[in-house]
Amino acid sequence: MADRELGYRERKHALSNLIQTYLATMDDIGVETWLMHGTLLGWWWNRKILPWDSDSDVQMSEPSMQYLASYYNMSMFHYKTPRIPEGRDYFLEINPHYINREQTDRMNVIDARWVDTTSGLFIDITTARYNWTHPAGKGMLSCKDGHEYRDTYIFPLRSTFFEGTPAKIPFAYKEVLEAEYGQKSLTLTEYEAHRFDQEGLEWIPIPPKIKEPQVSMQEENQENSDRPQA
Amino acid sequence: MSAGSEILETTSTAAEIEALDGYGTNAQPELAGMIKLMDLSPKYIPETGKHRRSKRLVIVGDVHGMKDSLVELLEKVKFNEKHDHLVLAGDMISKGPDSRGVVDLAIHLGATCVRGNHEDRIILAHANMEAEHRDVGVPGPSEPTDKQQDMLEEESFNHGDYKDRKLAKQLGEKRIKWLKKCPVILRVGKLGDMGEVLVVHAGLAPGIKLQQQDPVLVMSMRTIKHGVPTSKRKGNVWTKAWNKFQKSLPKKERSTVIYGHDSKRGLQLKKYSMGIDTGCRKGGKLTAVVIEGGHLDHKHKLYHVKCKDER
Repeated sequence: MADRELGYRERKHALSNLIQTYLATMDDIGVETWLMHGTLLGWWWNRKILPWDSDSDVQMSEPSMQYLASYYNMSMFHYKTPRIPEGRDYFLEINPHYINREQTDRMNVIDARWVDTTSGLFIDITTARYNWTHPAGKGMLSCKDGHEYRDTYIFPLRSTFFEGTPAKIPFAYKEVLEAEYGQKSLTLTEYEAHRFDQEGLEWIPIPPKIKEPQVSMQEENQENSDRPQA
Repeated sequence: MSAGSEILETTSTAAEIEALDGYGTNAQPELAGMIKLMDLSPKYIPETGKHRRSKRLVIVGDVHGMKDSLVELLEKVKFNEKHDHLVLAGDMISKGPDSRGVVDLAIHLGATCVRGNHEDRIILAHANMEAEHRDVGVPGPSEPTDKQQDMLEEESFNHGDYKDRKLAKQLGEKRIKWLKKCPVILRVGKLGDMGEVLVVHAGLAPGIKLQQQDPVLVMSMRTIKHGVPTSKRKGNVWTKAWNKFQKSLPKKERSTVIYGHDSKRGLQLKKYSMGIDTGCRKGGKLTAVVIEGGHLDHKHKLYHVKCKDER
């Protein structure tokens, strides 16, 4: 598929196209899916993919995954959009181990993938399954990757937008994010060599520091001067 | 734009820099089907002065389907439809015996409502039921809500919102439609010494513009930790930071929030916040704040009725 590593901007576009086409396809075929992990954190900040994220994470329920596996496994979807004028093929691949519900199946934690056949980039699709024997009682969902959620934190899903496309997120998105990344992840504006620009609502790469360290802070402070002081 | 290209000659203190890593710097969640901020029609605002017409605002929190208690409370305040306006501060429905009755009464009285976490759930559950779900050969969200959840029915669409969908069905289109119009934040307007009066279900983050508030947190917060509101009960109650912040503002810029949501803490009266969820459904009280105009300024008074334990 891919014959070289993509550049920063090129990868950003490919990832954006990838999630857009995935969300549109799932909507088309009537499969409910929602954003999770780093993708949900990207949504929190600016409803976009975090630029340092190398993939996107989405989830679906077990019946939805069964449906995908039954009718759409190994399907190719062709997309031609203003962003992809030359057209591009996307491939849906279900892990044959998706029927194995156990978290001990460590080799197969990802149940399905949405693959950009041109770049080789993909989206991991995991299944949120009810855990009928969870010590916390009824209503616990777990994923093969070890994450666990109370179902009322996920459902009813909220409708929103991600990368300009209609998308769904968990009901208690803030609690889900806090549980996974800690509270700091919701407020820290410098992360992974990027700084969150509050005017443009974008994560901007921080160039390697040549000047004294205060410079970037001062600039940031200037941008914030209209914020009320607590 | 490349970062660091503009170097600005400013001096900043450590405290200012620390404040940068604050809550509210992210893009605000764009959530479909939700009115975030609404102004109360000025015709309901109590008048002051010598020739004032008698008009009152009656604000009631967390009714939770306790229709009889609401009726009793309105009788106690001698609610008069002609002069008085009822505002329900969210969580009118769910848990209690008669959610339909509460919404019907509110519609009948022309009340203004605020969206609480329970309305939010029911509206979302309803939207998911309404959404086009193709026949995918698996149970969908419209399957009967009385279906038993058991270990054999792993295919069941038991989304953890069975109860929500059941109530959404019970309420029906007309009432859901009315609930959808309830804003997350109701701006009542300036009422003298109280400053700008706001009604929300749970709380507001201090120092963040109303348009910039995260609506889900406005419907669910209880405490604030490291500047970020959370629904957790343990910790510093959000009103502490809110009141401190109001007092730091010039008098004419201050706001008073009237809210519910925290029956465990019960009645919480502070200078710039009034928590009025007094746990009616748990056999506590149902509380109303009644605001009326005086000769010079607005006055507010509290009324309560005792409720039957409906747990």
